[in-house]
Amino acid sequence: MTTERCSPNWVLLCLMSAGLLAWLTLEAVSIAPNRLVAGTPHRAHEVHGWWAALLAGLPMLGVMVLAWRPGTRRLQAALALVVGLLVAMPLWLATAVMALADPDIPQARLGIGASLWLLLFLWLLVLIELRTRLNLSRAFGWLLLLPVVFAWWLSLSFWLEPLALYREYQGRSDQFASAIAYHLTLVGAAVGASLLLGIVLALCMRRYAGMRKAGFGLLNVVQTIPSLALFGLLLAPLAWLSARFDWLASMGVSGIGWAPAWLALVGYSLLPMVRNTYVALEGVAPAVIESARGMGMSRRQTFLQVRLPLALPVVLEGVRITTVQAIGLTAVAALIGAGGLGTFIFQGLGQAAMDLVLLGALPIIGLALVADALLGALAERLRHGGTP
Amino acid sequence: MIELFDVTKRFGSETAVDGISLRVEKGEFCALVGTSGCGKSTTLRMINRLIEHSEGEIHLDGQPVRSFNEELLRRRIGYVIQNTGLFPHWTVARNIGLVPRLLKWPRGKIQARTDELLGLLGLPREEFADKYPHQLSGGQAQRVGVARALAADPEILLMDEPFGALDPITRQTLQRELQDLQARLNKTVVFVTHDMDEALALADRLVVMHQGRIVQQGRPIDLLHDPVDAFVESLLGGMDRGLKEASLTCVSERMAPFGPRLLASERIPYRAPLSQALSVMLWHRVERLTVVDDEDIPIGELSLRRLLGAKPS
Repeated sequence: MTTERCSPNWVLLCLMSAGLLAWLTLEAVSIAPNRLVAGTPHRAHEVHGWWAALLAGLPMLGVMVLAWRPGTRRLQAALALVVGLLVAMPLWLATAVMALADPDIPQARLGIGASLWLLLFLWLLVLIELRTRLNLSRAFGWLLLLPVVFAWWLSLSFWLEPLALYREYQGRSDQFASAIAYHLTLVGAAVGASLLLGIVLALCMRRYAGMRKAGFGLLNVVQTIPSLALFGLLLAPLAWLSARFDWLASMGVSGIGWAPAWLALVGYSLLPMVRNTYVALEGVAPAVIESARGMGMSRRQTFLQVRLPLALPVVLEGVRITTVQAIGLTAVAALIGAGGLGTFIFQGLGQAAMDLVLLGALPIIGLALVADALLGALAERLRHGGTP
Repeated sequence: MIELFDVTKRFGSETAVDGISLRVEKGEFCALVGTSGCGKSTTLRMINRLIEHSEGEIHLDGQPVRSFNEELLRRRIGYVIQNTGLFPHWTVARNIGLVPRLLKWPRGKIQARTDELLGLLGLPREEFADKYPHQLSGGQAQRVGVARALAADPEILLMDEPFGALDPITRQTLQRELQDLQARLNKTVVFVTHDMDEALALADRLVVMHQGRIVQQGRPIDLLHDPVDAFVESLLGGMDRGLKEASLTCVSERMAPFGPRLLASERIPYRAPLSQALSVMLWHRVERLTVVDDEDIPIGELSLRRLLGAKPS
């Protein structure tokens, strides 16, 4: 194996030494008697003692050693170690609960501290680095996360009841499910509308050069308006419209709520959507179009059978960008009463309850990642066999 | 049969093709040659109406091309372009079956025709039918391009620098294959190229274009012997014309029966062009070659004197 002689993988070394440092110096967990009182922070060695903390640091050290001479086998071993670490984290939290929680205070809450958040982040980066180095498929990367998800599910259902994040969830499990559904509906409606509108606009722009300049100019301007300002700008005209037309009001259109949020999301989504669709349609090789016409395909056949299918992967790229962007923006839309996961974030900010903020923020990150992965995989599939 | 009567094409104020008249007989292989921008591609594309001519008339078997529906017209005419224009998202088989599908042939007939064409162009069906264009080499892709153009068995084939993007060796192979193909299929071919050797090797009739006009047309050998002006002469190779002419003549046309002398040590196939025989003589510093048949059996000899032959009049 020629890779045996290659130079150290500095990415892994840096990430892991940062992780080790965080593990030994930053607070790992905090414990609070109830929701209102700030918790007492505990560093890793304050939970189970120095020996246990150092022992837990060994796998990280192991990854660093393996990264020093990164052959394929060593990187595979490192991958196994990192997955193991990710699986171990919820289990370690469970032991921390047992060590720290006072059985006399049933309302005690365990907060996840800076070091664990940082470790989670760093380890995921390491996972990505290893996946790229080892040339593993996207699907396999997701498969690796299965045991991790399972470990969290197991710990949450048996031992991690005092976890503050979990307590916040338990208090709002109904709201949580409906918030996710609402969030996704809003994103879906906005992306769907902007896709339709985007295709129509891109087609018009291809036909009329004047419209192209004006259209992209306008969309660029919309893109530069801060999201909060755009929500605010839509407030007055929508309120006026719904006061003026009863049928709009009966649909639920008003200055606040889903209507301005949806309009703003569509506005933001249009630029990436139109640009990608336009570039995709224009980017089809002229020789291919020429031969389609030369073989006797009609304009309609050329568009539907040749130009559109060849443009589709890039159009889908636009859908991907737009969806990820809209999932994030919808969080802000909660401010104008649009609902969704953003509600938890702003409630949490108002009550200075960080765990409630996380209850809103973490699923948003999760949704964005999943949407990104799914749409990316779909685009890759469509590209398959097509253009190299 | 394709006829152009005084055809002109203007793009805005620019005249790309300026009143040309041309007649390509059925089964004739006609090469349009000239420098880039001389209007040869435009002329070709006016025949299948990818470009509409501004003035004059273009007839196909006596019917003006404008009297046809343009899509139906194009489905009757095979079209091959330089960058193949294969659809990257379709398999080879689907690409080849394009025009038959547009013509609504039954499925089984399309399949049979596709297989036949793959065989005709030396692309084994099992290996190539399900490949995508990006999995093919340049030569293979262009073979598929030719197969696609031939799919609905059109009488006319338009080829726009089909081998222009290929390396010299692949190009020569494909030229030879096209020659064989044409000998069998006898299509009416209009072939645009700026490669004079290619045009000389393939064409029955050479049409030299310059600045939108036809400067000279005729059999390749006639143009070589009697170029109308300095431009045509330089396009045909100037001082190299001797070699070009030699490349048009076969060894078998000049060979003699065995003389009283011993067999010459160097051999030349009877089908090789005279230019190649000359090259062998130059290389080995000999004045006599043994001519052999396909099985490498001596059938005659060729001396330098005979190779030079009578001076062309």
